[in-house]
Amino acid sequence: MTRSPLLSRLDSPRVLGYLLITPAAIILLGLLAYPLLLGIWLSLTSATIGKPGDFVGLQNYATIFADPIYRGAAWYSVFYTVCAEAGKLVLGLALALLLNQRFRGYRVSRALMLLPWVAPTVLSALAWLWLLDPQFSAVSWLLVRLHLIRSNIDFLGHPWNARFALIVVNVWRGLPYFAIGYLAGLQSIPKDLYEAAAIDGASGWQAFRRITWPLLLPITTILLAFSSIFTLTDFQLIWTITHGGPTDATQVFTTLAYQRAISGGQLGEGAAIAVSPIVIMAVLAFFVVRSVREK
Amino acid sequence: MSHPDRRRFLHMSAAGIGAATVAGGFPALASAADSPFKPEKGASLQLLRWTAFVKSDQTVWDENTKKFTAATGVPVTIQSLTWNDVTPKAALAAQVGSGPDIVMGWNDDPFVYPDKLVEMSDLVEYMGKAHGGWYDNARSYCYDQDVKRWVSFPIGCTGNAVNYRKSWAKDAGFTEFPKDLDGMLKLARGLKKNGHPTGFALGHAVGDANSWTHWILWAFGGKQANPDNSIAINSGETANALEYAKQLYETMIDGVAGWDDSSNNKAFAAGLIGMTMNGISIWYAQKNAADTSLFPDFANATPPMGPVKQHTVSNNFTSAFVFKYSKYPNAAKEYLRFMLDAPQADRWVTEMLGYVTPALKKYSELPIWTSNPNITPYRDALAYAKYDGYNGKPGKAAAQALDEFVVVDMFADVCVNKMTPKDAMRKAEAKLAAIYKRA
Amino acid sequence: MRRKLGIYVPLALYGVFLMLPFLWMALTTFKSDHELAQGLHPFWISEFTFSQITNLLTQTAYLQWFANTLFVSVASTILSVFVSYITAYAIIRLRFPGSEVVSTGIFLAYIVPPAILFIPLASVVIQLHWFDKLWALVPIYATFLVPFCTWLLIGFLKNIPRELEEAARVDGASNIAILWRIIFPIAVPGLISAAIFSFTLSWNEYLYALVFMSSSINKTVSVGMTSELIRGDQFQWGQLMAGALIGVLPAVLVYFFFVEYYVAGLAGSVKE
Repeated sequence: MTRSPLLSRLDSPRVLGYLLITPAAIILLGLLAYPLLLGIWLSLTSATIGKPGDFVGLQNYATIFADPIYRGAAWYSVFYTVCAEAGKLVLGLALALLLNQRFRGYRVSRALMLLPWVAPTVLSALAWLWLLDPQFSAVSWLLVRLHLIRSNIDFLGHPWNARFALIVVNVWRGLPYFAIGYLAGLQSIPKDLYEAAAIDGASGWQAFRRITWPLLLPITTILLAFSSIFTLTDFQLIWTITHGGPTDATQVFTTLAYQRAISGGQLGEGAAIAVSPIVIMAVLAFFVVRSVREK
Repeated sequence: MSHPDRRRFLHMSAAGIGAATVAGGFPALASAADSPFKPEKGASLQLLRWTAFVKSDQTVWDENTKKFTAATGVPVTIQSLTWNDVTPKAALAAQVGSGPDIVMGWNDDPFVYPDKLVEMSDLVEYMGKAHGGWYDNARSYCYDQDVKRWVSFPIGCTGNAVNYRKSWAKDAGFTEFPKDLDGMLKLARGLKKNGHPTGFALGHAVGDANSWTHWILWAFGGKQANPDNSIAINSGETANALEYAKQLYETMIDGVAGWDDSSNNKAFAAGLIGMTMNGISIWYAQKNAADTSLFPDFANATPPMGPVKQHTVSNNFTSAFVFKYSKYPNAAKEYLRFMLDAPQADRWVTEMLGYVTPALKKYSELPIWTSNPNITPYRDALAYAKYDGYNGKPGKAAAQALDEFVVVDMFADVCVNKMTPKDAMRKAEAKLAAIYKRA
Repeated sequence: MRRKLGIYVPLALYGVFLMLPFLWMALTTFKSDHELAQGLHPFWISEFTFSQITNLLTQTAYLQWFANTLFVSVASTILSVFVSYITAYAIIRLRFPGSEVVSTGIFLAYIVPPAILFIPLASVVIQLHWFDKLWALVPIYATFLVPFCTWLLIGFLKNIPRELEEAARVDGASNIAILWRIIFPIAVPGLISAAIFSFTLSWNEYLYALVFMSSSINKTVSVGMTSELIRGDQFQWGQLMAGALIGVLPAVLVYFFFVEYYVAGLAGSVKE
């Protein structure tokens, strides 16, 4: 098959490579990188809504690091993320192990268990708002009827209750993502490894520790890294259910940044709050990239 | 208002402004033709307003808008967003210099970006003269003291009153709602004893938490700032307010610290609480509920006074501002003039049962306010109100303090987190100092 | 028997935890406003009614919002999967200079929270005259879809043996031909996974749809419902939950048919 010299040039790995990544480059550079740089620039100015402000260097960062509310939000963001990720990982893995077996209705189960992840966050957050209501909670109602508790639980009225309630909702929403990911990981483990272990007399737990878990580490890294980034910058769920309250107990980076930038019009400071977790996330992203490269 | 007055004023203003070409000709309505605000040729308007809390508000507003279009040939598209989403949308429009022509926003919104807004002094003066003048809060929320001009056109507030169950109050020994806070506390205790606790939001409920905490704060003489914007929250008066709130909290139902704006409505409708504070929507909802037999038992009362012996209620104020990027500022002003003019606004206020208490004093004379004693407390919402950030300068700092729930959290810290008033005040003071310094 | 217990008991517990909100959504959808206001017996319907659903469909522009969301989700899925595929192919199979930098750059795209990015992004959107144009959401959504899908497809494509390409090249096929005729068909499970992921995230998106669209006819399901069914402090709970339930259906249908593909796709991308 003969081709014109032009097509041959275009088809060379180098030229074709650049051509193929151009659409992605345009989208990501224009709609993400550029606004991001704009956002970082904003964080270095005293910009307010409608006024560009002056360049102030790192002053916004100094201000927020000295602010107890910011420190509280930073702390809770990390706490929220660590707890939620741990919950999702453990429960997701357990569910995957469960669904990896063949039983009656396993197909339906696999599809249904995805629902929390699939439902629009804003709407399922509203449903949870009612489920966690101090007066109307169906959960409290059930637990009271089962004689497990005496009176309704005040899920959202006390700082620590609210903090854990949000973690539970986040785990509820994100569990399916981990379960499905682990299901895929489990299916890529060769069956003969287990057969060999069985022949050697290994128990189920030993098989899990020696075969399953190590072979799942790559996907664990990927799932965890991506999910952590999403969780650390979670906004809609928290804003809808507690709005950062009670008494700022559930403020996270994004809710505080949104509040400062939009309500008070302090764009520079809001941008600084939003940009500050990037260091943490850059570390996470670094691990993702490294694990992908190693494969 | 009487016709001779209006004709005299219009005669003066028309002479001052001179003849202006009328776009497309105005059929019929005399008021439109007399108005000094002439829409530009080929004008069209986009209005961003908050989704009406009561359906009739929207119905009548839309019908009045259609009348405006018929009268002037100016089409108006209305975009409704839930009330908390209007502020960010408006902020975005200010930031990027493009968006709706008119925004019906809240509280200190216009003070966050006054330079982006069309001056409204002419419209404000015109309407004030024609409708018996403005309540004080109109100036507090629409006149920017820094740039020294009216940056927004006041519309009114969503009034707050105390809502309670008449029969339960009677059981607790009160045939009439108490006129002072001591009486109210006695009533609250009686209600709680009989199994009908009270309920006032202490979570980050944008409307309900701010309304009662500010009312109580001011009722005892506490205030956020002084006229020069120095912080004044840390005081004996504030401490008294906090002590009162602590005692009131003992009479409340569980979970108020996690309440959002809809929680007290739900609890009140379900008969779980005997007293709360809200706009008239809470009472209106019972009117249209499937079971109307209970309706007469729901009552509204003017919020009682505290030791300062003055009314000190807190409401959410809504005003309309026009962005400078709009190509049709005159059309916008004429639209606002039209909508808040008697023929339109009389019907609007009446059919929504006074959900919005207009900032123009003349509308307090409408018969709707006295048609039912439960509606009357809302008539005085603006007459009795202070503005958020009292007694400091309205503006960016007050806006931020309100949105960060500084006052609400101070009350919650004392009631829920069991902080001493001293510590709670100090914490609030530090927060306010940072906010006011930045602004 | 013990094995059955070991499966069905934990499964039931998971089922309760994951499905409880949906059960509650379904119950709320079929209760009358009056019954909801009373707030009694959450797990029992005493006044069954379809009124919430009919009111939602007739009194609001729900069907329009549904159509909008469907359009944006499908279109951004197609765009993102296409762009991710060719990008992943370029990075993994073509090994051109700088491909490492590009792949790193793509992952870093995730670090940016939409909750703040929307402000500077809005200036860009305005300058491009994309404001209030529904289709503009398609490239905007691609900004958070392309990175994950690219990673997914990179992992998947890595595991396809090079011998296939060698053989094709010996036959004189160009790289482009290999990309479409040889590799593409094999990558289908990975592509379906990426498509499912993209569809789900697009369907759920709220903030950008709220901020960049303004006309009522351009609203998506999440935005339309919260803006018109939350009237201040009056939440139309029945209609909200009805809309949520109906809104979940397309994604559920997609998943029901394609979940096996999704799993296989992910499995292919993490194989060592």
